[in-house]
Amino acid sequence: MAGTVNDGQVRSAANLVVLAGADNVGIALTDIAAGDTARTLDGVALIAQDAIPQGHKIALRPIYQGADVMRFGMPVGLARADIAVGRLVHVHNVASRYLDNNEDHYE
Amino acid sequence: MSDPTASLALPDAAAMRGFPRADGRRGIRNYVLVAYLVECAHHVARMMAAPFQDEGVQLIGFPGCYPSDYAQRVMEAFATHPNVGAVLLVSLGCEEFQRSRLRDAVAASGRPVELITIQSAGGTAGSVAKGRAWIAAQLPALAAMETVPITLSDLVIGTKCGGSDGLSGVTINPAVGHASDLLVDAGATVMFEETCELIGCEEHMAARAVTPELAQALRGAVLKADTYYTALGHGSFGGGNIKYGLSTLEEKSLGAYAKSGSRPIRGLIKPGVQPPGPGLYLMDTVNDGPVRFGIPNINDTQTITEMVASGCHLILFTTGAGSVVGQAVAPVIKGVSNSRVYRRMEGDMDVNAGTIADGVESVADVGRRLVAAITDAASGRLTKSEALGHQEFVLAYKTYEPLGPSCLPG
Repeated sequence: MAGTVNDGQVRSAANLVVLAGADNVGIALTDIAAGDTARTLDGVALIAQDAIPQGHKIALRPIYQGADVMRFGMPVGLARADIAVGRLVHVHNVASRYLDNNEDHYE
Repeated sequence: MSDPTASLALPDAAAMRGFPRADGRRGIRNYVLVAYLVECAHHVARMMAAPFQDEGVQLIGFPGCYPSDYAQRVMEAFATHPNVGAVLLVSLGCEEFQRSRLRDAVAASGRPVELITIQSAGGTAGSVAKGRAWIAAQLPALAAMETVPITLSDLVIGTKCGGSDGLSGVTINPAVGHASDLLVDAGATVMFEETCELIGCEEHMAARAVTPELAQALRGAVLKADTYYTALGHGSFGGGNIKYGLSTLEEKSLGAYAKSGSRPIRGLIKPGVQPPGPGLYLMDTVNDGPVRFGIPNINDTQTITEMVASGCHLILFTTGAGSVVGQAVAPVIKGVSNSRVYRRMEGDMDVNAGTIADGVESVADVGRRLVAAITDAASGRLTKSEALGHQEFVLAYKTYEPLGPSCLPG
């Protein structure tokens, strides 16, 4: 899959974006199936260990219990348990500092 | 692509021109502003402005008849805004707005000003005829006014989001954050807002404050917003957010906060207060004191209106669902989070950040395109909403205390 940028340059399409250099999660740009490669434009690549739906987070590095989940340079929650590389990072393993999100909010 | 480093440079800003004003600021437009001072004068003012829609005449007004220090301040800020070259005030005659005070402030700023009071100018028909004649007489001089070269350091840019979707916090808002960093580094003044959507970001913001006292003021502004909206009965995190991949309230807030980029925060301002120097500022958009007059800002436009009152020349507005709004006095550059809406509403969207979700452009690439859109607009090119004639403006009753001493450290 490839796309054309406004200057006519063709790049291979990425399915993952890392918003800031020190982040320990990336964001899926499309649905990524378990076992597929998650890949950014600038060369970060890892195997997804879970299905990562569009807009959801994948662990780029091991995130240990109690550590901050970092997105765009900001802590967006605390790991409830150790999270391995490639796993989905979401309400099941992330706690808010502000509001209890430890419930099944899915419709 | 011949030179891979070329894209790292700022877009060419050499063509930017500005209109010098007596207060030292420089405008990127030279509008005639028509301002009604109570709703009862709205129709007459609209009739005055209507024939000049394509000649840069802007219409604003305050609907209320009761006095308001806040509304007086915002109207004066618009009437002396650097993008405004001449001002026509339209009064019914019996409203409580302090029309002579506003006229005197405009005259003191060096701009041509006229006050037409409908009750003593022949009613609707007489007033409309006088107003149109006055506008027609101003336009040649405004069109002939000399411009001077300007740089990004002459500009004040506001950032705002509205109609966000699941990709806004991943694509267009981080791209605006990168643009904000580029602009601040180039000496521009940038402001962000929406304290009610920054709950959870206060410690991160506090760490970016230039003084500990400002850090405390930033925390206080978010706490005030939280308290105010709780009293109003608004909650802000739920199943829909989680479905789109947001795990916590603070992560949701980050979607809007991402527009602020990463540079130090220089101050906390309130509507109508001009930032005292270049850098990044937070606009406090929530009333001071107890809940009064209802929801603080009833829509996106009221918040944009407040940023323009604090001197913004241009607004970067981000959307996911597809907002079409522009703004009176300050042109709006619209960025969209996804290519699907971009294709559907290309006539309204200046910048497509859906290319990030499509995997073909980086956040930084789109950030540079946003800065290019700013330099284009400051070089005289009309933004999409401007060319379509958008001139949204909303002003309602609010109450603000003066800024505290820690809000604007040197």
